[in-house]
Amino acid sequence: MTNLKLGITLAGVVGLGSMAPAIAADDTRIALIPGGPHPYFAAWADAGADAARDFGLAGAEYEVPQKWELATQNQLAESLLSQGYNGFLIFPGDPVGAVSTAEELTGYDAQVIAGGGCYKDPSPAAFCLGTDTGNSAYLGTKELLAAMPDGEKRIAHFTGFLVDPNTQLRIDAVNRAAEEEGATVVQTIADIDAPEPAEEKINAYLAAHAEEVDGIITTAWVPAVVATKALAKMGGDRIHMVGIDHDEVVLEAIRDGSIDGTMLQNPYGQGYIGAYAIDKLRSGCVVKADAPFASNALTDRFIDSGTAYVDRDSVDGYLDAMRAETDRILADFDETYLDCS
Amino acid sequence: MSRISQLSRTDWFGPLLATLLAILVVRGFSETFLSPYNIQILLLAIAVNALIAFSQMVIIAIGQMNLSVGAIGGLAAITFAGAMEVWGLPAPLAVMLALGVGAACGAMNGALIRITGISAFVITLATLSIFKGINLGLTEAQPFYGIPEGVKAFGNATILGIVPLIFVPTLLVSIALWYMLRRLPVGRFILAVGSNEHAAELSGISVTATVVIVHVLSGVIAAIAGILLVARLEIGQPSIGDDWLILSFAAPVIGGAVLAGGHVSVSATLLGVVIVAVITQALVLFSIDPFLVQVVLGAMILAAVGLNRLRAHQPVSGAG
Amino acid sequence: MSRTRFFLSNEFGLVLLIAVFAAIFGLAATGFLSPFNLFTLGRNAAVNIMIGLSMMSVIVTGGLNLAIGAMGVSAAMFAGWLIEGVGVPWPLALAGGLACGAGLGFINGATVVRSGLHSFIITLATMSIFFGVMIFLTRAESYRDLPAVFSDFGRMKFAGYVSPLLLVTLATALVLAWLYRRTVTGREMLAAGAQPGAAELSGIRVGRMVILCHMLSGVLAAMAALMLVARNGAAIPSMAGQLGQDWLLLAFLGPVLGGTLLQGGKVSVLGTVLGAFLVTMLQSGLLMLQIGAFWVQTFLGLMLLIAVLLDKARRAYLARRNLA
Repeated sequence: MTNLKLGITLAGVVGLGSMAPAIAADDTRIALIPGGPHPYFAAWADAGADAARDFGLAGAEYEVPQKWELATQNQLAESLLSQGYNGFLIFPGDPVGAVSTAEELTGYDAQVIAGGGCYKDPSPAAFCLGTDTGNSAYLGTKELLAAMPDGEKRIAHFTGFLVDPNTQLRIDAVNRAAEEEGATVVQTIADIDAPEPAEEKINAYLAAHAEEVDGIITTAWVPAVVATKALAKMGGDRIHMVGIDHDEVVLEAIRDGSIDGTMLQNPYGQGYIGAYAIDKLRSGCVVKADAPFASNALTDRFIDSGTAYVDRDSVDGYLDAMRAETDRILADFDETYLDCS
Repeated sequence: MSRISQLSRTDWFGPLLATLLAILVVRGFSETFLSPYNIQILLLAIAVNALIAFSQMVIIAIGQMNLSVGAIGGLAAITFAGAMEVWGLPAPLAVMLALGVGAACGAMNGALIRITGISAFVITLATLSIFKGINLGLTEAQPFYGIPEGVKAFGNATILGIVPLIFVPTLLVSIALWYMLRRLPVGRFILAVGSNEHAAELSGISVTATVVIVHVLSGVIAAIAGILLVARLEIGQPSIGDDWLILSFAAPVIGGAVLAGGHVSVSATLLGVVIVAVITQALVLFSIDPFLVQVVLGAMILAAVGLNRLRAHQPVSGAG
Repeated sequence: MSRTRFFLSNEFGLVLLIAVFAAIFGLAATGFLSPFNLFTLGRNAAVNIMIGLSMMSVIVTGGLNLAIGAMGVSAAMFAGWLIEGVGVPWPLALAGGLACGAGLGFINGATVVRSGLHSFIITLATMSIFFGVMIFLTRAESYRDLPAVFSDFGRMKFAGYVSPLLLVTLATALVLAWLYRRTVTGREMLAAGAQPGAAELSGIRVGRMVILCHMLSGVLAAMAALMLVARNGAAIPSMAGQLGQDWLLLAFLGPVLGGTLLQGGKVSVLGTVLGAFLVTMLQSGLLMLQIGAFWVQTFLGLMLLIAVLLDKARRAYLARRNLA
């Protein structure tokens, strides 16, 4: 095993040294690098392993920077490149700050795809495969407002790290959706994507302002979990809530009716499709010039990995929903986005 | 000796006034502030934060500092959660194991400091990195979810619907600490070592034993805080403890502890915790810009040390 | 300095360690000596060394500076704002960033001197304040439309693997060495740190020196942060972690490994440079060996512990020989 590893590494290094433009596609060695440790990305590990098996890759490993910090991620990516990895699915630690590392990676003929979040154009990434975070927050807010009874609608918004640029997109999207429906966002609490501060701030807020809030929208993993528990603790069903992601706590609360629903994302699909596409790009395919990419605030080469609202009726089949979404994107992926002549 | 107890008798007076004032002002502006549910939330925050502060306070008492408080708490927390999820240990055994880890970490800190004679700052900086690294290495930063229902229930239970059950351990620790520092010989030794290590040594106190005991105590208290957090958060989160450092110093300092050692007060530290909790909650209540919360915390520390200095009965030596 | 003393010196020990680890990593991890890895190693070392020097310049006074990360990031964000918000040309903005670092350092130094409190508690508070104000003013948004010259500089390579950032750092280290050895100001800084009372008696204005040391620390922290801006092509509020705490371990590792034992009055610029380089190399090598990114921190902690223990033993040995 070690010998094999060494051999692959050696091959990679030789490849680097000579900067050979094309290495045989079956040598594809992919690293799936999230921005830092976070439960959202755990599905990438399975997705990478499944993709390596299904598409015959030399490897598709999930490599986690030990801290949620751009410098740590950069060092990891640099090191993996030196070790001979030649395909990278990266959640950019910063949409602009991570570009220069991506350029270095592609400078050594590695393929880079942004997953989960996007680089800001211009970037050397082939495309961005992720959740349209703004849109997800927008749709979630609309679902929340629809679930609430008529009359005055006052909602509170709990979201993640302020230093994550997606956070601002989410705040804007929630405000926009609320404005369109004539509802008011009475409070936005941010920077709570860690359990302790989330617990403290959300509980303190609800303790004081529960009377003034009719609905809660959460747009980050940890706040969703904490707010769900806080609502369960308070009891009553006056306050409506829509969460995000698929933490067991959130899903259970949807089943027992204490919250209305959640906005699912598709991290597994990102990892699986991303690995597939990297392998294709390495075997000579190129991205079509006229591929029907979507646009978001950061890039014009965006592929939505799927987002779905599940409520009590659809919550049990959520995994199938995501698998179906993955299969749907993959089914016509080659024709739609790639040119493999 | 009498001077120390005299000082600590007057010590809690200032913080108490500040606490009452803060509570009155916040109550004046917000009617929901002292609702039962609100008090429960306040007590929840105080329960854990007080232990974090005590864990640092006992070290401050001997004139040292412990940067690894959070790392020990985090390691104990994931030991507790991991032992129950992975090994299926019953909760009481897992608690013992986690407390043992806390004690062992503390003993390592104390022993290293005494054996090498290197400053506590450098040693605990190194062990901070080691303990946190072990935590990350074991968990790969993924939380443990398999917390038994009994532990979750403990984290959520209340007495009479107001006082959270997890406040009880904190109360017991406070009383025990107070009793130890005021009534037991070891408490006297600790304060003596903190005021003047040489004099303490000459009067026959074993400085090494005292330092190690205090660090073990600090480790155990940090471990209790970690365990309570697991019960409250209902997950064994590896990031527990990451943001304890500023808080652990803020509360004792606001409560009037002198960093040079020899002078701490359990009640004043507790009041320091209450002030921080009330003000943190007030910031949320008044919808103050979340970006400014950090600034307020920093300014509070500066204001407290400034005030302490103004009312200091003696010039603080060893500051530089 | 006698020959045995040299072989027992910290600097020699570090050189030896660097050589040993370089050999181990070079043999065990094939990619380690590739030009690209050497390039990134140098570039990361440049920032880490600068952070270490920033801490070192305060340790000289017998104090410490927990606010390094917060100051550095604030200064870099200020430079970013000068470019994007005001439209200042980039060389002026760089100067503005350094001045901002110096200003924050002045606040630290003046507060320490005026209050007479230990710099630990002062910088603990200002860390929170500086970072909080910066986040409040920037709304935590990055400055991303910087001139291309920044990212070009970050990616530039001399002779295939030398980053210009490393050259900047080494030049800075030379200037610092010259400052502490050859100038009156530098020697007064050391004297003020060694024995404030005696220094005051001999006519050195100790307070002023302490403030100056903190300002120097601020400038160096700003330089480290600006180099990160060049490396990333953007000024990002999170680049030193929450409250800038992620720089702390790095900041102390360099000077402490280099033999600066937090007492003040002594300084080893070369030791700090070598110490920070060793740390960077270990990080890189451990990643290459696939030991697992998650264990790197444990190794660094152990490293720090072993280094201070070895240093202790070395000093004891020297003391015995001098007595004998």
